[in-house]
Amino acid sequence: MSAPRTVIITGGSRGLGEGIVQHFLDAGDRVATCARSETDAVRAWQADPAYADRFLFCTADLADRDDCTRFFKDVVAQWKSVDILVNNAGVARDGILALFSDDDTDTVIDLNLKATIHLSKQVVRNMLAHGGGRIVNISSITGLTGYRGLSVYGATKAALDGFTRGLAREVGSRKITVNSIASGYLKTEMSHGLDDGQLNQIVRRTPAGRLGEPADIARAVEFLVDERNDWITGQVLVVDGGLTA
Amino acid sequence: MNEIESRILAILTDLLDRSDHEATAITLDAALHGDAGLGLDSLETAELSAILEDEFGTDPFGEGLLPETGADIVAFYADTTAATA
Repeated sequence: MSAPRTVIITGGSRGLGEGIVQHFLDAGDRVATCARSETDAVRAWQADPAYADRFLFCTADLADRDDCTRFFKDVVAQWKSVDILVNNAGVARDGILALFSDDDTDTVIDLNLKATIHLSKQVVRNMLAHGGGRIVNISSITGLTGYRGLSVYGATKAALDGFTRGLAREVGSRKITVNSIASGYLKTEMSHGLDDGQLNQIVRRTPAGRLGEPADIARAVEFLVDERNDWITGQVLVVDGGLTA
Repeated sequence: MNEIESRILAILTDLLDRSDHEATAITLDAALHGDAGLGLDSLETAELSAILEDEFGTDPFGEGLLPETGADIVAFYADTTAATA
């Protein structure tokens, strides 16, 4: 896996995904990402001559299998093989289960779980044909500890961790590692469902004394995809400022 | 041996070289699975499917077929080529 590496990061137009995309662009890699719509961040990357020929954006709704496949085929048409996949795209809908709508359940499961599985299948086939790779699933501490109002979201994240372990066993002999990062609460839009009282309580209970930044997670991703780290697979790395310690 | 036959044979040879199989006589008529044949396991079959798709754009496994020999794979591409010719 010599530089530049080819990296797919799903949901890279904002929030945590935006931070991970920026990290790999800064490292000199080729980065492909997708989202349902362009954002200022995406337009800035597209316009920056420093990223010419090594940034690819595809407007796609990953929860739509055809869109998801088209995105993958676009990447392969451009760069042939994929070295790193970061399954970051996800959606949170908050609300207690007793009042949760079936549509919200479908939205969360379709993107967080089914889309991740669908894209991973295609990427892992590419990695098998090309001799290895790294997969990182962005999970959440809500899948480990549970959080009131996020039971469905937490269920998809716990399921992702199970997917990580199973897939790691399947492809471990082919130089492919698969790991999860269970992220704590970040200062991104996804935490906006939490009110100030909840966020203050989280900060008070966090040994590191602050919410996370996308860069905190991006550095953990970089560690797991390092070519030398081929003996870490099937694991869930918790990155949460110590909240769940 | 035609072009498709030699490409399939080369793919099978390369695949078995990579995965510590004991020296086996690789022919297009050998069974892909089982001790009497090439002995591909499920992961090696997945690799074969992925490599074929990478090389040819489609693969018989992805189309829901279960080729049993290299010759079956050759026949799949011969049919595909004939259909699009």
